[in-house]
Amino acid sequence: MIKNVLTHVGGVENFGIISILLFFGVFAGALIYAACLKKPFLNQMSQLPLEDGTKKTEASHE
Amino acid sequence: MNLETFKYDNRIVRAFAIATIIWGIVGMSAGLLAAVQLFWPEANLNLQFVSFGRLRPLHTNAVIFAFVGNGMFMGIYYSLQRLCKARMFNDKLSWINFWGWNAIIVAAAVTLPLGLTTSKEYAELEWPIDIAIAIVWVVFTVNLMGTILRRREKHMYVAIWFFIATALTVAMLHIVNSLAVPASAFKSYPIYAGVQDALVQWWYGHNAVAFFLTTPYLGLMYYFLPKAAGRPVFSYRLSIIHFWALIFIYIWAGPHHLLFTALPDWAQSLGMVFSIMLIAPSWGGMLNGLLTLRGAWDKVREEPMLKFMVVALTAYGMATLEGPLLSIKSVNSLSHYTDWTVAHVHTGALGWNGFLTFSMLYWLFPRLYNTPLWSKKLANWHFWISLTGMMFYVIPMYWSGITQGLMWKQFTPEGFLKYANFLETVIQLIPMFVLRAVGGLLYILGTFLMAYNLWKTAKSGVFVPEVEAQAAPRNSGHDLHAEQDPWKHRWLEAKPITLTVLSLVAVAIGGLVEIVPMYLIKENVPTLSSVKPYTPLEVLGRDIYIREGCVGCHSQMIRPFRSETERYGEYSKAGEFVYDHPFLWGSKRTGPDLHRVGAKYPDAWHYNHMDDPRLTSPGSIMPRYSWLLEQKMDKKSLPARIAALRKVGVPYPAGYENSEALKDLEKQAETIVTNLKVGSVEAQPDKEIIAMIAYLQRLGTDIKAQAVAAPVNTSN
Repeated sequence: MIKNVLTHVGGVENFGIISILLFFGVFAGALIYAACLKKPFLNQMSQLPLEDGTKKTEASHE
Repeated sequence: MNLETFKYDNRIVRAFAIATIIWGIVGMSAGLLAAVQLFWPEANLNLQFVSFGRLRPLHTNAVIFAFVGNGMFMGIYYSLQRLCKARMFNDKLSWINFWGWNAIIVAAAVTLPLGLTTSKEYAELEWPIDIAIAIVWVVFTVNLMGTILRRREKHMYVAIWFFIATALTVAMLHIVNSLAVPASAFKSYPIYAGVQDALVQWWYGHNAVAFFLTTPYLGLMYYFLPKAAGRPVFSYRLSIIHFWALIFIYIWAGPHHLLFTALPDWAQSLGMVFSIMLIAPSWGGMLNGLLTLRGAWDKVREEPMLKFMVVALTAYGMATLEGPLLSIKSVNSLSHYTDWTVAHVHTGALGWNGFLTFSMLYWLFPRLYNTPLWSKKLANWHFWISLTGMMFYVIPMYWSGITQGLMWKQFTPEGFLKYANFLETVIQLIPMFVLRAVGGLLYILGTFLMAYNLWKTAKSGVFVPEVEAQAAPRNSGHDLHAEQDPWKHRWLEAKPITLTVLSLVAVAIGGLVEIVPMYLIKENVPTLSSVKPYTPLEVLGRDIYIREGCVGCHSQMIRPFRSETERYGEYSKAGEFVYDHPFLWGSKRTGPDLHRVGAKYPDAWHYNHMDDPRLTSPGSIMPRYSWLLEQKMDKKSLPARIAALRKVGVPYPAGYENSEALKDLEKQAETIVTNLKVGSVEAQPDKEIIAMIAYLQRLGTDIKAQAVAAPVNTSN
């Protein structure tokens, strides 16, 4: 029965490999993108939560 | 430098924070009551509105959408303004978001106990509420994107990426999974049937976990953890890879909820492989969070908020390692339908979502009220009590799940099922159910301590409705790192629309690859010639089965294992569900599978069993359904139900609902009444129990009508 379903879905045998290739494409893209970002920019980005433009930072109740 | 002065809106954050606490207590209490009913069925006071089947969706919806939902909005409304250096796009939209969302929750709290449910897990709310959810979600998305577009900060921090992905994907999932044809103001039938409905539902269900419980909270973790630790995230690069890999992979993993079912094998395998791959980004994110505390672990000792955050991240790591493992077919064959899944989701819900929410609340209240936390000691007590509660919850559930799974599969040396009576396996678990309830109680006690502590904090301070801030306008040239070459420049971080489109593509691919073939399958699920649409009486019975939430404890999907075919009968075939709108395969077997229960017992057995399950099955923990014996079935709605079912594709003849349907119903009801008399039961033909018996007796019997069920008309 499931075999019957399988044989009737066009090109289903390729779905797995297409999916994996797509993933590796996305993953490789993200890796390259991240790897190419420069240190000063990364530092600037990672500082964003710590600077919110308030006069006295709100993180004052520690 | 030209600085603009503006104000962050704290009022909306406070509103969501208070709603989070209140709904948290409500949702957890509903869970506790449901947990108690599993070892003490009378705890529902024989009231249909709080019987287990109706309470369970109330609990899950309250915790997911009310507690975590409000917590998510609270965190986003706080962090987004500060990350964008801008007030929310539109205050009115903020308040429509708040009141709309909470009105929806109230609607859920009223309709679910009334039994108005679609029965699809985490999507139980009926169509008018679904429409309201879509509208409020659009309001939230507009407010989110508007704020982002009007931001002063040039670059979008990774937390914002997670918020964008959340907004887009939840909208997509909700709309696709909720497509239905209404039969009345609060009853609808999904346009999908059987296998397709299952696939769409678990594509939604799994991604409700991914994009409602995970991505927004990851965004919040990336904001609040560095904020509390006073240091930037360990690796911003890793957070970018975390984001893309996670949103791309997550969407594919849904079919792991349907392993060994009648879903085609290729879809199952795809779901399994992508689930295993999920370990990598999930752990990348967890480690990125934990390593942010590098050199700041002393703060964890001092700051209760960080304690909660560390446990939340650890629970995230545990749940995201366990989830992929549970998706491996061989593990899943043991774990599926057992309490192991319940333990797994509670590691995520109590540990990850719960503790992260508590962490944010402890951080926010002192800032919203400009005063130190009223009692750190009490917060520490909360931490330890709730952590102990979590342990008391999950460990017995693991024990229970594995015990259940093993007992179901145990054969004697002679080759017979060792525990042929399902009830034996249930009774074995009752001590675990008691311990679980103790765990839940401790967790709620901790939450009460927090509520008290935060209330006292608010009392001791003065609310700060708005916080003044200053920032240079965007594109004012204040950016220190001007773009020099294409690879140095930050096109993605500075372009919200591009990022949004790319995120949408990333999340849509998985859905398309799995759902487009679903339409192909639709044309290819072999119709078994003996499988016929439900009779009118069975339609009413099935809708009562849905109303009572029977699917919360009983599956209708026999997997192709000897241990299951021996116990229940022939394994379930895809073609048997072509008229099932919605599918009722279930996800948990607190009671036995019911797919082949039809014709297994006499009608009178069902009557007595529904009246009081302990009459026929001593020791059973099923609630009584004595109201079914009293309440009259809703015959008036029958034509609308049949017409709606025809619209979604069930081949009832044209005009059947206006002429023959009622006669057929009454004829079948009389037959059941006669059968009941044989079993010494006097019943009237217009009671709900008659419809319920008709449905149960039909279950899984169609293929028995024909020895060899040959596929016909595969092109439909």
